[in-house]
Amino acid sequence: MSRPLAAPDYNAMSNEDFRREVRAFFEAEYPQQLRYILHRARWHEMKDWWRKLYDKGWIAPNWPGEWGGMALDAGKMVIYLEELERHGVARAPDQGITQVGPLIMRFGTEAQQQHYLPRTRSGEYIWCQGYSEPNAGSDLASLQTAAVLEGDHFVVNGQKIWTTLADDATHIYLLARTDKAAKKQQGISFLLVDLKTPGITLRPIRNLAGHDEFCEVFFDNVKVPRANLVGALHDGWSVAKALLSFERLGIGSPRRPQYALRRLEMVARAKGLLDDSGFVDRFIALKLDMEDGAALYGRFVEQVKRGEPLGQDVSMLKIWTMEAWQRLAELLVEAGAEQGVIAGVHDVAGVETDFLNPYYYSRPATIYGGSSEIQRNILAKYVLKLPS
Amino acid sequence: MHDPLTAAGAAEHRRILADSVADFTARGTDIARVRRLRGTSTEYDRTVWKKMAELGWLGILVPERYGGLGLGLSEMAIVARQLARALTPEPLTGAAVLAAGALVKSDNESLKREHLPRLAGGEMLPTLAWQEDAGALDPAVIRTWAIPFEGGYKLRGVKRFIAGAAQADAFLVTAQAAEGMVLLWVPRETAGARLGLDPLADGRSFGTLELKDALVPRAHVAASGAAAAAALARALDHAAVIAGAELLGVMERALEMSLDYLRTRVQFGKPIGAFQALQHRAVDLYIHKELAAAVLEEALAALDGGANAATRAVLASRVKARCSDAALRITREAIQLHGAIGFTDEYDAGLYLKRALTLAAWLGHATWHRRRHARLTLAATASV
Repeated sequence: MSRPLAAPDYNAMSNEDFRREVRAFFEAEYPQQLRYILHRARWHEMKDWWRKLYDKGWIAPNWPGEWGGMALDAGKMVIYLEELERHGVARAPDQGITQVGPLIMRFGTEAQQQHYLPRTRSGEYIWCQGYSEPNAGSDLASLQTAAVLEGDHFVVNGQKIWTTLADDATHIYLLARTDKAAKKQQGISFLLVDLKTPGITLRPIRNLAGHDEFCEVFFDNVKVPRANLVGALHDGWSVAKALLSFERLGIGSPRRPQYALRRLEMVARAKGLLDDSGFVDRFIALKLDMEDGAALYGRFVEQVKRGEPLGQDVSMLKIWTMEAWQRLAELLVEAGAEQGVIAGVHDVAGVETDFLNPYYYSRPATIYGGSSEIQRNILAKYVLKLPS
Repeated sequence: MHDPLTAAGAAEHRRILADSVADFTARGTDIARVRRLRGTSTEYDRTVWKKMAELGWLGILVPERYGGLGLGLSEMAIVARQLARALTPEPLTGAAVLAAGALVKSDNESLKREHLPRLAGGEMLPTLAWQEDAGALDPAVIRTWAIPFEGGYKLRGVKRFIAGAAQADAFLVTAQAAEGMVLLWVPRETAGARLGLDPLADGRSFGTLELKDALVPRAHVAASGAAAAAALARALDHAAVIAGAELLGVMERALEMSLDYLRTRVQFGKPIGAFQALQHRAVDLYIHKELAAAVLEEALAALDGGANAATRAVLASRVKARCSDAALRITREAIQLHGAIGFTDEYDAGLYLKRALTLAAWLGHATWHRRRHARLTLAATASV
């Protein structure tokens, strides 16, 4: 696989021209039936779209040109993401692009970069994230999956859990304990593992919405070449930490709850609930919670566009947006009354609505990516500077 | 208007303005003065008011041709927010936003030339007398009558909830005339006009203006009909936004006090701010404060950017609703986080709660503004 030719300089375009070009491509090429889907998209659904983006040179907007990315600056990146969300483009199994690719560029060896980056971009390698364990959730650094160095390879034993779309993935990036004697964060290493390696077993876990979106991954004497270590031995924690704040901006985007908000307004109209002042008081308060949250989001976006790093205060965005999403989803179910608990998509007063899906999917939103309680701990410590 | 400024230049100017107000409150006003003035019939201090005029703040929204600075709501919000942090009792929003705004958009040129420069200069303190019933905030619903008399009008009615009335020199009064709404200039000493004061939670007062055949000459008609209604609607929206800025200043200071207390108060052998239950409450208050600041910032940019009347109304209601709720929540929680000391009159936390209470109720509370927002936005999308 050869390195691609230099991409056009998108950053030299005006924001308006860039937005227009991105929008036109999404509108022309993205499959209509996959717009605004409610479940997490699977690889078999998304692989044709991946191919289109790859052929266009747009699969890795955040990657530099030398690795076939669009090399977008922060301002253009925000526009790209806004247009994805605006058109209802589903998120592909993209952790290779958003997470492990940038980490390999920053911490990986030349050989790792040459091997993994082109294959990750083309979709030959699909990645999942092996961080959480049954006994290491919010307290991730207490993870116990062990990787013992024996000559030119590690022997990995242990269990990962809540591994999103592991059964769609070809590879997993792993935090494993390489030094049991060291304290917590210090004895952890970052490994790249082929899921076809003998000794790895996957077990899908069904979630509340009835979908098998995450898995348990078991490691039983799995041999991982030493060459698959990213960064220094025992230094995996700092490798993994390098990405987190931009992720929290994405998670705090006010667009995630838009389905619930739009459906709620449509259902309310159709059922005449807007004549019920008790309902209107609650509905408009929630609508303003979302709009005002969007104003807060806008401030962080402006900060990113100016090229300033995001501070720990971005945590407030995830807390507010995700908790407001839950309140919206709760009111949607209530607005449906008895119909609100009928499973699946159904017609209520002429509006096709899935009442329960937002209710279910807003639940883990305050758990994954750092629970609301962990985010509050972060704000208390680093922003409010409260004592510990 | 001044020369167009670059974004960086504008940000720098605003920072300097905020610093100068902070400097003013540090030297020129303190909580001891606020405490002295509360509950008095004078309510605020005209010499402090005059100093505020000398610094240009009273003329921020007055065009340069009438002796003002001709700046925007963004600048006025900076001044209001900083003054509110110090609980300054002078009626900046009531006089320099609400009354000034209505007069600026009036069409009586000689009245404007006479009074706007003196308003900006601090010699003339007018306030707006438009509301008649509690919770009734539609400026078009008026039971005060302007009866034609000797080429002018005789006024009959009662105006209530007038902020800054205590030492006001004149009132801009709305009344119903045969030709529609009129906005009239009524000097305080007008025969037939009697002012009463209702004490407020925060030590200031609302004025009640009884008008019993008060005479208003033709020359004192500031505006009438659609022009009067438009001037009033605009001034009320702008005042709601600047009241939001005041609420932001109040909540910011109350939150700072609470956080300081959490860091220093020791119980069970450690600062109480080390307890997670209190940390998480403090974080939630901080988030509400940041939301209020973000909404205010977005609204100010849109309003100074020339938003139309419909957008203006929606934004004003968003700001007033969010800032009122956030300030009430933060000041209420300030009492709880301080424990018993927070419930004493001697401690300042209660002063912030009381200012939040009065500002939140004035010009429409949060629920009123959310309902207005619903009327404006849900109706607008109903036909889509």
